[in-house]
Amino acid sequence: MKKTALMLFIAATLWGYGDGAIYWAPHGCDDGKKTASKHGGHGKGESAMFTLMNTEANAHAHLILPDLSEQNLTFKRTTVMLPKPSMGGYYAMVAKGYDTNATFSAMRYLSLQGRPAKVSPTKLTALPKTDLEIIPDPLHREHDRYSASKSYRFLLHFQGKPLINTAVTLETHDTPVQTYTTDQTGAFSITLPNDFKNVQVGRSENKPSEFLLSTQHRDGEHLYKSTLTMPYSLNPNDFWQSQSYGAGAIFIGFLGGLVFYRRTKKGAKNG
Amino acid sequence: MDKLLTVTLLRRIVQLTAFVFFVYGAMIFTTFYTGDKLTQNLPALSCAYDMKGGDFCALIPLQHQMDHRVSTLFTQNAGMMEALMGTLITIGTVAVLILILNKAFCGWLCPLGFFQDVFTMIGTKLGLTQLGSLSRETVNKIRPIKWFIFPVLVLILPLLTGIGFLGHEWGNPYCSICPSRIMTTAMTGDMNQIYISQANTGYFILSLIADLLFGLMIALALFVRQPFCRICPILPMQTLFKKIGLLRLVKNGNSHCDTCSSCVKACPMDIYEIQNQAENKNITHSDCTLCGRCVEFCPHDGVMSFKYGPIILLSSSKEGFKKRTKIDKWWKG
Repeated sequence: MKKTALMLFIAATLWGYGDGAIYWAPHGCDDGKKTASKHGGHGKGESAMFTLMNTEANAHAHLILPDLSEQNLTFKRTTVMLPKPSMGGYYAMVAKGYDTNATFSAMRYLSLQGRPAKVSPTKLTALPKTDLEIIPDPLHREHDRYSASKSYRFLLHFQGKPLINTAVTLETHDTPVQTYTTDQTGAFSITLPNDFKNVQVGRSENKPSEFLLSTQHRDGEHLYKSTLTMPYSLNPNDFWQSQSYGAGAIFIGFLGGLVFYRRTKKGAKNG
Repeated sequence: MDKLLTVTLLRRIVQLTAFVFFVYGAMIFTTFYTGDKLTQNLPALSCAYDMKGGDFCALIPLQHQMDHRVSTLFTQNAGMMEALMGTLITIGTVAVLILILNKAFCGWLCPLGFFQDVFTMIGTKLGLTQLGSLSRETVNKIRPIKWFIFPVLVLILPLLTGIGFLGHEWGNPYCSICPSRIMTTAMTGDMNQIYISQANTGYFILSLIADLLFGLMIALALFVRQPFCRICPILPMQTLFKKIGLLRLVKNGNSHCDTCSSCVKACPMDIYEIQNQAENKNITHSDCTLCGRCVEFCPHDGVMSFKYGPIILLSSSKEGFKKRTKIDKWWKG
């Protein structure tokens, strides 16, 4: 019981967010981490277990593999355990839930290591996966990560077509909700907030946080709600890396070169 | 137009095109994701930290493989194939690329090489006194540095990190000091790679070296040709396969070579060995970037030539020499 309570507490960094829409959150329990480490392909300390938040009993989920094939995910209450990755590249976790007059969807992408699938991740992001979909344009590159204080672009599509002038909200753990509006191409850009607290020096000393993008669109009587959740890390330049000192060091290096120039010029004059 | 048509002009056009592709390629072609890159093992300093780049150099996968894969031979008793497969693929790809273009990756395609060339052109136009050739003694002192950087920073330190002897900061120490990381990212408007890290002593030292080196390289490039290329670890890596390269510099010297030294003066890497007597011999030196300037500036018919397999692509000539020196005088004012 104590373990379950602790699991639930650690599980979702965005617990209670999403305004009623379903969304994925990593489940930080030991089982998820043990499975991930047995599977290989996950990053150090990552979990293979995810919770679908705000879900009702009628939700179902599947995984789209890097080669664009699909694999069903089985819920155990509200959690799913990812299968051992059979190839390297981006995986998309897709969940869908239905109500009488509403469709809910949740997306999450994972970059897992393994033998490359030889299919471009652009095909995975371009593949229509839900009616209303927030699409990273592009995803962060393999071996990279979403970082605080940096801007990222996304597209909003409804039934495969850009959805213009639509509000999309960004929620993180410690920053008030921010609202963005899609432009004439259905695109919008967000800047991830620097809202990490109790920061330790060193990237590996700080766990990533989660950001949640959510949107909704009404088509006649039917309401569509969609979310995208992804982890993001702190930006070392906000903490233990100084860019002004860096620029200063470049300037000193440049001056060193100029001193060398003066010496060689003098040497040339003196023969 | 024919008056200006030289190997150097052709090289500048190729360099500029390569620069645009390697620094901004992902904005033009579908090469954003690692899996979409052209080779991921380029024998030239095109940086993986550049999120808009078209391809990246072989040194980053080599360091990662040493850190994460080869080290498992010692830490997890991994099988040879599992531990070495990635490294073998990288080395194999580099070998194939060297077979095709040999060391021309440096002289014709490297973005950092072109960046330095541009600063040398700026220095010339600003009227800064150009250093010309470095002395033989200076060249001999500088040359061993790259033979230290390649095995130590690219292979040994990452391997020791993977085994657990060193901290994470030594996992890719060459990338941490590489000026191409700062240059290519800055050229795309991303200034995140300019920093001094205070995470620990190792990170601090590496970030300080990187920034000082970058500033020094820019200043030196204003009056010294190819300052960073002289210590670049890509050269030793290329040298491992230069014998199989189809493109090569061939010399069929004559008695004038002993006194002329036009080729050495033209060489941006100050390779004194190219003035030595040679009879129809491949003289592609470890430091050579196959830029072709020695062929352009050789005043003797057929002495220096660029060969691709058995085919002569370019050969030195009196006419070519006259034309090239005239353009050089015009350029230098």
